[in-house]
Amino acid sequence: MTDMHPPVLRLSHICRSFGPVKAVNDVSLEIRRGEVVGLIGENGAGKSTLLKILAGIERPDSGEMQLNGCPVQFRGPRDALRAGVGVVHQEQSLFTNLTIAENIDQHSSARSGLERAGLQDWGRINREAARALAKIGVRLSPTTRVGDLSFIDRQMVEIARAVCIDPGQGATPLVILDEPTAVLEAAETQILEREIRKLRDFASVIFVSHRLDEIMRICDRVIVMRSGRLATNKPISDVTKDDLFRAMVDGDHQPVVRRSSPATRTPVLEARGLSRGGAFSEISFSVRPGQILALVGSNGSGCEALMRCVYGAEAVDGGQILVDGRAVRRWSIRKAIAAGLAYVPAERKTEGMIAGLAATRNIALTHPGEGAAGPFLRPGRMARVAQGWFDRLEVRPNDIHAPLIQFSGGNQQKVVLAKWLNAPALKVLLLDHPLRGLDVGAGAIVNRQIRAACAAGAAVVLIPDTIEEALELADDILVLRDGRHSACHDLAGGGAPSIQEIVAEMV
Amino acid sequence: MTDHSEILMNRTTLAKPLGGRLSRLASGHVIAPPLVFAVMLGAVWLLNPNYLSPFGISIVAATAAPILLLALGQATVLNVGSIDLSNAATSLLGTILLAMILPGYGFWGILAILALVTVIGAIVAYAQVPSFALTLGTLGVLQTAALVTSDSQTIYLGANRELVSTLYTTNVGFVPLSFWLAVAVALVFWAALQFTRAGQSMTAMGKNETAAILSGVPVRGLRIAAFAVSGFLGGVAGLAILAQAGSASASGIGSALLLPGIAAALVGGASISGGQTNPLNVIFGALTVAFVPMAIQALGVGAQSQSLVYGLFIILVVALTTTRSRGIVIK
Repeated sequence: MTDMHPPVLRLSHICRSFGPVKAVNDVSLEIRRGEVVGLIGENGAGKSTLLKILAGIERPDSGEMQLNGCPVQFRGPRDALRAGVGVVHQEQSLFTNLTIAENIDQHSSARSGLERAGLQDWGRINREAARALAKIGVRLSPTTRVGDLSFIDRQMVEIARAVCIDPGQGATPLVILDEPTAVLEAAETQILEREIRKLRDFASVIFVSHRLDEIMRICDRVIVMRSGRLATNKPISDVTKDDLFRAMVDGDHQPVVRRSSPATRTPVLEARGLSRGGAFSEISFSVRPGQILALVGSNGSGCEALMRCVYGAEAVDGGQILVDGRAVRRWSIRKAIAAGLAYVPAERKTEGMIAGLAATRNIALTHPGEGAAGPFLRPGRMARVAQGWFDRLEVRPNDIHAPLIQFSGGNQQKVVLAKWLNAPALKVLLLDHPLRGLDVGAGAIVNRQIRAACAAGAAVVLIPDTIEEALELADDILVLRDGRHSACHDLAGGGAPSIQEIVAEMV
Repeated sequence: MTDHSEILMNRTTLAKPLGGRLSRLASGHVIAPPLVFAVMLGAVWLLNPNYLSPFGISIVAATAAPILLLALGQATVLNVGSIDLSNAATSLLGTILLAMILPGYGFWGILAILALVTVIGAIVAYAQVPSFALTLGTLGVLQTAALVTSDSQTIYLGANRELVSTLYTTNVGFVPLSFWLAVAVALVFWAALQFTRAGQSMTAMGKNETAAILSGVPVRGLRIAAFAVSGFLGGVAGLAILAQAGSASASGIGSALLLPGIAAALVGGASISGGQTNPLNVIFGALTVAFVPMAIQALGVGAQSQSLVYGLFIILVVALTTTRSRGIVIK
């Protein structure tokens, strides 16, 4: 019966170049009604450009695009929306100073009489938003300001906004989810997966993810992009995870080997009964040199706030932080850095790096090392330091003087990491979602550096993207639920818990 | 090396020309301010070569010197993401106080006034209030202070006047010493931004203050330092004004330099949203701003419409010299 309809989306020979770089090179594909198609590929493989073309942000140089059988040419994102293409962007695009309802209304074309008269119809806006939120099973008040939401809730609002599109007469909407799960915890990921299955009834979905497990679970078909071309386009039943990995990187997957149990030394960082009103209370943990501790919890568990407090970026209401066994007083970021702490924030673009500054200068910002003599910088040595890290971390493009904004997310994260690894005496690495939005290759390099720092005697506190990541990397796992201690696992000592066990402790 | 990294390498060779082109585009503003000034010089020379006589050049440079000093202070503050609306008023107050105490205290008087205006600048930044509102307030306070201390009178320089007037009377290549002093300050600034940790940190905090704080940059101290520098240069600008005018008054030469100072910083490519300042370009920004009134005369524009043409010209020049590489949002 579905064959009676034209495909929801048909691309024929789409090309888009930036200078000499063919970002999208002769891509042709079809997406049928109610189909969930996984789109994977490394950073820079052309996924983002292809999605931007579908969303009307970029225009193809050549090729034809058809939606529900009609050729379309988008002059801007609004055209794409009107044609029924809703996108949940990887970079969040919500207005943080507006309410959830106002944000969702940005995509809606429905207008009441009141609004045709130029007035804001709060009743309609809030009703529609409530309906869109209910559609994806999220309990949020439409009148909440988006700026007050956690990252994960914002992601849910984005999804609600994308699915609120009115399909129009007989047309099937196309919902594009650009790595919606990259920032979600396990429990939310399950909700999202359920939602995607529900979307099938009235929409087609393009689902972008770096996690092959998810692709295998959720999608009907998978498309692999490599260097701007379609490398694979097959039903999910015809491929294995290894096939997909090979298609992406054109090489073999080498699983990381779990390192041996850590040395038992005195803790370098200890938290005793830390509390912060509204975020977490009575949390205690300690890390020894060479140990990796993962903080795991779902949305609102307080992991991120806990890490920021340990770093001195937020104040605690109670409890003690001990560094090298001594309780700290009037803790601040500057003192934490002087004590050998380092913090990689989850919001890389807005908190982790100075986008407009050259990579060399980003690295030299905190610990210039030999790149500075007293208050003076030594550009030659600075460049040498940066080049050293570029080589070690395989940063591409290999241009240390380029502003960081010109690098892809994975390579930016490598530079952020290099800034901290350049510390003369790194004692504690605080990593908040260090792999967020990174492809498999970049993730492997970042993980290798984390382990190397550990081997060199640094302690690591990690908030991972997934429970798998925690199990793979950590020696100990501390599970938080609603800001309180829920469970603690010693992976090196006792046996590893299963993912299901940890999820049960989270919710 | 795995296959994987080879792929990444291949991609690099593809991506590099694009990156190179982007950075060349982004650095376009490095040429623009000198270019704008040169074009303007050329146009005036074609219209009326008399304006470019040694005397004409000396006038432009003498006018540009205090503007440049104020603009450099302003550019420093803009670079950390703030704005200083009170620097010209600080300068004015400094000028008046200096004219009053110079006969009695000489060189030490100059040092005392420079220290005072530096402290005024630092105090302004110490109160953590948004700089636009705060300096708008201190602007009024300082203007009143200037009126009160001078008793609304013009104070003429008496004894020890040669200590400051040398700045105006000594010429090096048609150009008074005050201008060369300002150029030297610009050079020092450029080097400080490029080659000191503090300068690099100031640019970083102007571009992204949150990330700078999380990277351990002492933003509060640097902001106070930037305002102190602005106050100090306001004092030095006061010296240049005093040298040229030989007198100080609350409504004299220095009273209307706030907007030219900001305009010169902007024409020199400084961004009002922070993190974008090249002191060497500000030199040409100040020269341009000082030269525009002459250029307008050379064009034969009538007295009534000179402000109009001046305004339009500044908009045009800022449009030419502003870097837009930071994105689509222009504040």
